[in-house]
Order: sequence, then C-alpha cells, then structure tokens
Amino acid sequence: MNRKKTVLRYFTIADWKKEEEFLAKMHRDGWKFTSLNFIGIYHFTECEPDNVVYQLDFNPDGMAHKDEYVKMFSDCGWEYLQDYVGYSYFRKPVSQMNGGDEEIFCDDESRIEMMKRVFKGRLIPLIILYVYFILAFFLTLNTPNSPVLSAFYVFVLLTYSAMFLSFGLKFYAYYKDVKNK
Amino acid sequence: MDAHIKKVYVPMTETGFYILLCLRQEAHGYSIVQKVQELTNGEIKLTPGTMYGSLSKMEKDGLIHFVREEDKRKIYIITDLGKEVLNLEMKRIERLYKNMTEVR
Repeated sequence: MNRKKTVLRYFTIADWKKEEEFLAKMHRDGWKFTSLNFIGIYHFTECEPDNVVYQLDFNPDGMAHKDEYVKMFSDCGWEYLQDYVGYSYFRKPVSQMNGGDEEIFCDDESRIEMMKRVFKGRLIPLIILYVYFILAFFLTLNTPNSPVLSAFYVFVLLTYSAMFLSFGLKFYAYYKDVKNK
Repeated sequence: MDAHIKKVYVPMTETGFYILLCLRQEAHGYSIVQKVQELTNGEIKLTPGTMYGSLSKMEKDGLIHFVREEDKRKIYIITDLGKEVLNLEMKRIERLYKNMTEVR
C-alpha cells in the first residue's frame, strides 16, 4: 500500500507557473499528484521519484468540448488529470519527450493567449464584483448611521485593490517573462 | 477580407501557417502535428495547448471550418477566407526568401 499525503497550498489566479513547478517538485521528491479538491487540498501518493512536467491550461472552449480537447492532449502524450476552477491539469514524463523540456504551448502568442483567457475568465467576474462594492459603498454614504457598513466596504475595497495590484504585477511579470525568453 | 483578420493573421505565427498549409486537405489537429514534424525533420514540434487554441480561434474567425468528428478528433478544412490569408502569407514569405537570397 502506497503512502498518501495531503498538502494545503493556495495559489492565486496568476500563479499557474508556480503551481506547475510545485507539482513537478513533489513528483521529483517521490510524490505523485492524484487530485486537488475544492478547498485547495492537494492529494499525493508515494511513487518512484521522476522528472515529470506538469502543465496548466485555461481554456473554457476546451472544457465545453471535453472529449476532443482531452484527446488532442493524449494524442501528444499528455495525461489529463483534472479540472479545477477553470484550469485543466496535464502531465508528461520527461523520459517521453524527445530531448528537452516540452510544454503544452510552443510559441509566445499562445502563451499570451492563455494569459488573456485567464484574465477574461477569472479576473473580469472579480472586477464586476469590485464595481458592485464601489456602488454599494457610495450608497451607504447617503444613509445616516451606517459608519460600520461604510468601514466594512472600505475594508473590502482596499483588500480588492491590493489583490488587483498584485494580479496586475504578476500578469505583467509573466508577460515580460514570455517576451524575454 | 476585413482589416481585423488582416491585422491578426498577416504576418502569422509559424503554427498558424502550418495549420493552414496542412488544412488544404481535410485533417485533424494531431495529424497536423505529425505532418509538421515530418516536413521539418522533427525540428518543429507543435504542442496541444497551442494547437487547440489556434484551431478554435481560426474556426471562430472563419479561416477553417469543421467537417466531421472521427474517434473524438475534429476534422477541419480550410475556407475561402483561409485560402486568401494563406496566399497573402505565401506571397510575403516568397518575397522575403527572394530578397534574402538576392542580398546574401
């Protein structure tokens, strides 16, 4: 019976590169990824340490046509693992790649296209929520005796602003990284 | 051809060019990957994330269209618009090649 392990890790919206590296490192250390549940707990089982490339794609179109999407990847030797909040997880052992590091994207355009899909799919819903909170905040200003509520909204708005700033910087860093490679 | 298509596809990526070149005959994504590997002696290895994204984008833009499905693989063929774009690209690359050999 193989030993099992669970790890709680939280990756933000723009952290897919870090997440891929985390899963690859676990595999190098002899822990093979089995699943990720909805609260962000990663499950692993013990395995022979191996060099395996893990990749995340974000493609709503592919999710809507699951069979053919997964088929394209499996044809190219990528094992489909699961979906999680819009991301699809794949892996391929380095030993099955003819020389060198293979990824699921082979040009900068498609790497940037994926970034845009993440942006559209994950960030725009948050921006809509953000606008809602701004409106709600201004409404509380017109209501007497609601300093607590106003303070709450200010807190939410500040948290959101910090989050957007951080995502903005990460997207920009990713963009620059792709361009400079 | 509208300005948007021209702006996005001329010049186009190597992946995009090989997709259109191969889709002058009916083909599915993976057969394009294999064909390109063969054509370039294994130097260009198209990858599934890029292929899937490019194919669905080109289908949306009307450069290729879906023919039928076989064993979960979508088979596409180039459209008239796709041929127009491919011709523009071929002319551009021919000119590039001609100039390269003349100057060299």
